[in-house]
Amino acid sequence: MTEKDPFEQLRTLEPPDSGVEAKRRALIAAMAQFDDMKKTRAATQGMGWGWRLITGGLQTWRDAMTPKMNSRSLAGPAFATLLLVPVVGYLSWNLVATNQPTETQTGRSEEYSGDLPEGIVGDAAKQKATGEFTDNLELRRLAPEAKSDAADLLAQAAPAAPPVPLSVESLAAPSGSPSNTRAIRSFAQKPTVFIPRQPDPTVDLEEGRDRVAKFNSNPVKRVSEEPVSTFSIDTDTASYSMVRRALREGRLPDADGVRVEEMINYFPYSWAAPQSADEPFRATVTVMPTPWNADTRLMHVAIKGYEIAQPEKPKTNLVFLVDTSGSMQDGDKLPLVKASLRLLLDRLGPDDSVGIVSYAGEAGVVLEPTKALDKRKILDAIEKLGAGGSTAGAAGIEEAYRLAESSFIDGGVNRVMLATDGDFNVGPSDDEALKRLVEAKRKSGVFLSILGFGQGNYNDQLMQVIAQNGNGTAAYIDTLAEAEKTLVQEAASALFPIAKDVKIQVEFNPAVVAEYRLIGYETRALNREDFNNDKVDAGEIGSGHSVTAIYELTPVGSPALIVDALRYGKKEPVTQPSAGGEYGYVKIRHKAPDGNESKLVSQQVDANNVVELNAASQDVRFSVAVAAFGQKLRQDDRLGNFTYEAIGELATRAKGEDAFGYRAEFLTLVRLAKGLGE
Amino acid sequence: MVTIEATAPDGKEDDHDGLARLAQAGDRAAFARLLEANYDLIFRMAWRWSGNREDGEDIAQEVCMRLGRTIASWRGEGAFRTWLHQLTLNSARDHLRSRSRRGRLAEAVKIHALVEEAVHCEPGDPAEALWGAVRQLPPKQCDAVLLVHGEGLSHAQAAAAMKCSESTISWHIHEARKRLKILMKAGGSHD
Repeated sequence: MTEKDPFEQLRTLEPPDSGVEAKRRALIAAMAQFDDMKKTRAATQGMGWGWRLITGGLQTWRDAMTPKMNSRSLAGPAFATLLLVPVVGYLSWNLVATNQPTETQTGRSEEYSGDLPEGIVGDAAKQKATGEFTDNLELRRLAPEAKSDAADLLAQAAPAAPPVPLSVESLAAPSGSPSNTRAIRSFAQKPTVFIPRQPDPTVDLEEGRDRVAKFNSNPVKRVSEEPVSTFSIDTDTASYSMVRRALREGRLPDADGVRVEEMINYFPYSWAAPQSADEPFRATVTVMPTPWNADTRLMHVAIKGYEIAQPEKPKTNLVFLVDTSGSMQDGDKLPLVKASLRLLLDRLGPDDSVGIVSYAGEAGVVLEPTKALDKRKILDAIEKLGAGGSTAGAAGIEEAYRLAESSFIDGGVNRVMLATDGDFNVGPSDDEALKRLVEAKRKSGVFLSILGFGQGNYNDQLMQVIAQNGNGTAAYIDTLAEAEKTLVQEAASALFPIAKDVKIQVEFNPAVVAEYRLIGYETRALNREDFNNDKVDAGEIGSGHSVTAIYELTPVGSPALIVDALRYGKKEPVTQPSAGGEYGYVKIRHKAPDGNESKLVSQQVDANNVVELNAASQDVRFSVAVAAFGQKLRQDDRLGNFTYEAIGELATRAKGEDAFGYRAEFLTLVRLAKGLGE
Repeated sequence: MVTIEATAPDGKEDDHDGLARLAQAGDRAAFARLLEANYDLIFRMAWRWSGNREDGEDIAQEVCMRLGRTIASWRGEGAFRTWLHQLTLNSARDHLRSRSRRGRLAEAVKIHALVEEAVHCEPGDPAEALWGAVRQLPPKQCDAVLLVHGEGLSHAQAAAAMKCSESTISWHIHEARKRLKILMKAGGSHD
């Protein structure tokens, strides 16, 4: 690049002389408008012709995209972060264009209402004393009459609109073939995406700014010293998505930032489910040999939440808090947020309520709480979200809570869902203040979930903290497929909590277990005394959620004992626990979603829980493979020389039906990691 | 050519506000004169926005038509030019948006043919390239750059056109500058 101030160049660029002919045409057209204006100004325009064509466009969009999502072809790396918004825009526009013979006036002007001439609207809004030059999109909503005026104007102006090139149009029409799908996806990206980012050092630096908390793996503990292990459940999945993103981009994730439990819990498992809502969840404990260490065992604790059937679903009051700061404009951020919100909207019942707050510079209500029945209005509001400005997260959160409280549903689900690339600007106050706010609101019954997007400045650490304090989950969405998984496949579990403050405490029997370590959950550790303290917050379980925790146990007398391994390694290997000997006792505490007192569920773990590795269920084995992968990425030395191949093999044999392809994708990641790590 | 049927009563060529008020009241001649006096400004902004003459002319025509349609609803608060700046920016954005819907699809097809590789067509002229980068800025930053650096408005004037505070303009410019450098570096790595 040149050394000159770039802005200097802007001034030097002078236009050519305007064409005489063009100018003449423009002035004539303008005079015609001027003359027309007087005649038509008094006429009022009905709004009835509103949304028909756009709805058609959406339908087309759905038809085009839905099968793709199911086949997971959207999960490809570079273009998977597609922008559906312009596709919708294009398709509706396309419909309008093809409908021209019958719908010229209303159709065309309706199309343009997606991009109304802001100046006109702004001026009209000014007349209505709405005052500020707020987001133009906002103004469109605030000034329906102005919209009508503008639409009318554009209906008049229709002859000047550019013609539709048929060749291009026909390219887009059949959306089934892969090449066309790809084309639409690429097309849907903003131009910024076409700028290669990798080679540039500045941008690399930017991408390295994700803030992920580092932590040490859980140490091995001696049962004789610390017989009790206590932790809060974690149903987040963000870590897996972030690992996936890193591997796909050809780099190993930051070892100390990998949260193994989030990787394990990313996958759907069919653990034994409770039979009724009275039993909010059921724990299944399996003890089995450790694939990576012949001398230890794994204790696999699988918890499955009760799945609320559709008719029983409580009414839902959601407020989306959408980060619309300038940094969100990338194709894998705001456009993906919008597409995600649309997906979620499809899961809501007609009486559920949706509100939208955007924040960029200052927080603004984009959509007052609206019944999902009025889907058109909600979709419209989603469409209007545009990126620009800085991030004032704290003000946004307060505004979102205010909305959620204004439409609070007693006995229902009240939740703020924050969609952000994660760099909250909380002004002079610190993260602590934000935590406190979220915590206080949680107590008032409004929970918070985080949907993380994009990378570069994703503040994973803060998002985790906020979600944990808000009784919510933090999911990281890097592809539309991921949005589909998080918001559609798992909508129920993400939205409908069945138990909160779920804590797990395992007491090991020193007669059988000499040492243990908990795999993952490092960031969720609780003090032993916290278990019975109902004031200590912990994770929540949603409808149908599954949560898995795995301990690696070293039986008494095993050569794997850390302290005694060398000196007493010749002692008889323990392949069977001493008859009838209990490994330990698993206790789970939880509260009802709206309760304040906890209940206790407990279960002993003994010989009945022990199986051979191959006899363990596919899901158990697969989750163990994921645990191994996570530890491998963390470069955990407890994994010994267990290779990526071995992990891949373990997972392949436990792949099962894999209806959504999640496990196949996992295998791909293992291969990628192998290539990068060896 | 459009014939200018009358001059402004006070004879001042550049009294845009006065002409606009007359046009607002329905004075056809005043409106014609107003257009004549402002067309070059409109075209310059539109051309800078779009980067090519054809689009610049289309946008300028759109602005003129919108003027004709909406001059009556101009409230006369603030300068006519301020309003015109705003109208031009918005028209330009609308135009480019509808144009890019078609253009980008064609581009995407082309790109797909190039093995899904992210390819960015580099304009030859560095100033062109820079404008290309400016157009990728968030809309308000882009507006601010166009008004302040393109049209030479002061921050206060730009603030009036964008109906925001002066400090907001300064902030947009600051952000734009930051972002522009990144964009230009990314594009420049191809050179």
